[in-house]
Amino acid sequence: MPTEVEAPTGDTTTSPDRPWVVLVWNDPINLMSYVTFVLQKVFGYSLEKATQLMLDVHEKGRAAVSSGTREKAELDVFRLHEHGLWATMQQDD
Amino acid sequence: MARWQFRPPVERYRGGFRLNLDDEERDLVRRLLAEMQQLLVGSSDNPALARVFPAAYHLPEHAEHDAEYQRLMREELVASRLTGILMVSAALDAKPPLNEGQMSALMQGLNGLRLVLGTVLDVSEDDDPAEVTDDHPQVGEFQLYGFLSWLLEWTVRAMTET
Repeated sequence: MPTEVEAPTGDTTTSPDRPWVVLVWNDPINLMSYVTFVLQKVFGYSLEKATQLMLDVHEKGRAAVSSGTREKAELDVFRLHEHGLWATMQQDD
Repeated sequence: MARWQFRPPVERYRGGFRLNLDDEERDLVRRLLAEMQQLLVGSSDNPALARVFPAAYHLPEHAEHDAEYQRLMREELVASRLTGILMVSAALDAKPPLNEGQMSALMQGLNGLRLVLGTVLDVSEDDDPAEVTDDHPQVGEFQLYGFLSWLLEWTVRAMTET
């Protein structure tokens, strides 16, 4: 697994100051128990926190599960994709 | 009087885990994983793989970032899934107890199969495979999807137990 990603160059759409947030989106395939377990495994969250995030995804359609630099967010997204979760990232408003 | 004891398909066993699957069920999982292997090394724009390789950047203004992510990470994702499939194939033949790593691979492998099958079947949140009638043209696929969900649920349950 790569630990570094290429730095953005000549970038006008992103600002380096604002953190990136990783979102998990609701989908009809992934099981609720599985999503909860993956959030615990990937981020080390407690069962309570992972369950709350999973319920947010389920009820609100999406939830922010982590944030940080673009590099960190991209790695988090990758690890969620490895587990088949529908994860994307965007810069915090 | 006979005593009938329920055996879950996946359970904790001697500090690890054990799969209580019969030969037919093991063969089925093996066969599905072999098909998944073919899919993963095949055409990258196969619509069945849409959920296996989602976009990382969903906003249109980050399309360039996403192209870069796909270019750098997709191969990593394929490699990670192929390694997992080999681990699961070995675990299906291994003598228990299975370890945490083998179980994680099983979990991700089963979920990958569900992503593909669920995409092909275009399942919705309210779909219950048990309610699909015998005359449905895709009844076999829905039964398969139900089997994978059942096995994954028990796998997660066994791994969550402390």
